[in-house]
Amino acid sequence: MTEKPIVRVSHVSRYFKRGSERVNVLNDLDLNVPEGQFLALMGPSGSGKTTLLNLIAGLDTPSEGEIWVGDRCVSTMNESQLARWRNEHVGFVFQFYHLLPVLSAYENVELPLLLLPLSAKKRREQAMTALELVGLEDRNSHLPSQLSGGQQQRVGIARAIVTDPTLIVADEPTGDLDAKSAHEILDLLGTLQRSLNKTILMVTHDLRAARRADRIQHLDKGRLVDQPDESLYEAG
Amino acid sequence: MKFLMLIFKNLRRNMVRSLLTSAGIMVLVFVITLIWSILGFLDMATSEKAANFKGIVTEKWSIPSQLPFSYAATLEDGAAREESDVKPMDSMTWQFFIGSVDKTNIGFSTFIFAFCMEPKKLLTMMDELDSLQPGPRATLDTAIKAMEGNRQGIIVGQKRLAAIEKKVGDKIKVFGINYRDIELECEIVGTFPPGRYDNNTCINRDYLNASLDAFKAAKGRPHPLAEKTLNLVWVKVPTKDAFSKMSNQIDSSPMFAAPPVKIETASSGVSNFLAAYKDLLMILRYLLAPAIIITLTVVISNAISISVRERRKEMAVLKVIGFQPNQIILLVLGEAILLGVVAGAISSIGTYYFVNRVIGGIPFQIAFFSSFPVLDGALWWGAAIGFITSFAGSILPALSTRSIKVVDVFSKVA
Repeated sequence: MTEKPIVRVSHVSRYFKRGSERVNVLNDLDLNVPEGQFLALMGPSGSGKTTLLNLIAGLDTPSEGEIWVGDRCVSTMNESQLARWRNEHVGFVFQFYHLLPVLSAYENVELPLLLLPLSAKKRREQAMTALELVGLEDRNSHLPSQLSGGQQQRVGIARAIVTDPTLIVADEPTGDLDAKSAHEILDLLGTLQRSLNKTILMVTHDLRAARRADRIQHLDKGRLVDQPDESLYEAG
Repeated sequence: MKFLMLIFKNLRRNMVRSLLTSAGIMVLVFVITLIWSILGFLDMATSEKAANFKGIVTEKWSIPSQLPFSYAATLEDGAAREESDVKPMDSMTWQFFIGSVDKTNIGFSTFIFAFCMEPKKLLTMMDELDSLQPGPRATLDTAIKAMEGNRQGIIVGQKRLAAIEKKVGDKIKVFGINYRDIELECEIVGTFPPGRYDNNTCINRDYLNASLDAFKAAKGRPHPLAEKTLNLVWVKVPTKDAFSKMSNQIDSSPMFAAPPVKIETASSGVSNFLAAYKDLLMILRYLLAPAIIITLTVVISNAISISVRERRKEMAVLKVIGFQPNQIILLVLGEAILLGVVAGAISSIGTYYFVNRVIGGIPFQIAFFSSFPVLDGALWWGAAIGFITSFAGSILPALSTRSIKVVDVFSKVA
């Protein structure tokens, strides 16, 4: 792991208009994430952690400030550029997996590759490699409904890494899983980080999950805080 | 092509809905195929040809037209008197003989509607028979030669032959209904190819005329219709200009003083017959057909709207992993168009083969048309209707996917 920041969040604010009222979600926030680091973002509900994740992953744009991922300034891209950038550079892991129910595990993993100029053979190779990495190569033809929650999340992770992204963002990846499955998923994320040198940003409420990360950042009222009130978090 | 699999699988997501929508499309395309076939056929029958005009000569002031047969020769010559006058390329006389194979029991199973004419004109003047494929043409030609060799020979449409329970080679006696007391002893020498003339019969005009002469000889007086046997004459001319000249020749001829005659194009003649059905045809063309297309669009729009509403989260996921908004729109349009085109094509192609090959035409009595073929255009109508209506029906639901926010995917509602 190097200390070179792959994610640079500089003076970022995000606010929304609600009628005539301005709601500040993030306030002048700075954050650097070195390449290959596993960062856990924690904070009480409404603290702005999902908003921060959305901004870094290119799902939203900041009201003020800049966000750089690698050598690209994400905050100035338009919707079309962001979609292309997300496809190539960001892998997403969702709390509720969000697999397409009509597609098999393999087809779900292959989905992001359909947008890239790859041959069918190359797509198959990459999708099967991703499924092997999460240990589900023998379940590639199963539909999501034929898989357990933990297996579905592993398919979700395979889909997130299949394009070999710069960054993996995970929103409560263990939030819908039992303790054993959650443990396996966190092991898998840790393995991906160490063996593939992936940078991982994970939002979680679960302190035990957060402790599996290299670094924990706490958010409160739209700002990063050093000394969080740990009683706010469930022990999990 | 890469997204085709996704489109297929999305259609299989709710098979019941997809099948019901397809069934709705098929039924509506079936109905519109029938309507358009009838209207298209009538349009063809009433549209002016650019060349090879057929002119119809009929009695000027009386319907039905009943002319003396002595008019025939002059009219078949286009009433040409000078060297420079226009003569028809071809011509044909029509005498209608309505009768029954059973003198006392007149009904569907005994009824005969025959046109009496020169047999050889069947292959040169009769619509559709003048453009037969070599096989059916040779078969009909054999029957025509038999009619020419035996003036009592008749050709009967296949359905009519089945209705009167006779076969080729049988002899029948036809008792005149319009020609009262005229009985024609005929031998069935062949049938028409399946289609337009299924219920018609062709009798050699010489036999009818000879029978009328025989009536006069036997009774000592002419038959009441003896001077009214020629119902109409068709003349074929090469151009519109030639038609106009011939029209002038006939109008100015002193031969046709009592009764006077008129000439009009075949399409104009058919149009006059159809005038009585104008309201019905207007309703079919301008109300029913558009209503069906609008209904089809609404059916598809409803199905696709539901489908899009159910999958907003999935579409947000697709956007998150890199799908462009336009690609999502194309996926939705692709689903609708695939459904519409496939269901529409199956319906119209199935209708074409079922109606034309199995039941032998759309049984719809209008004027003197008793059944209509499904037109060749129907082979692509279904796909075209399916494409247009599914595109129109799905464009708004598809565009609504633009409002799906990618940030929605991280909301905590499963």
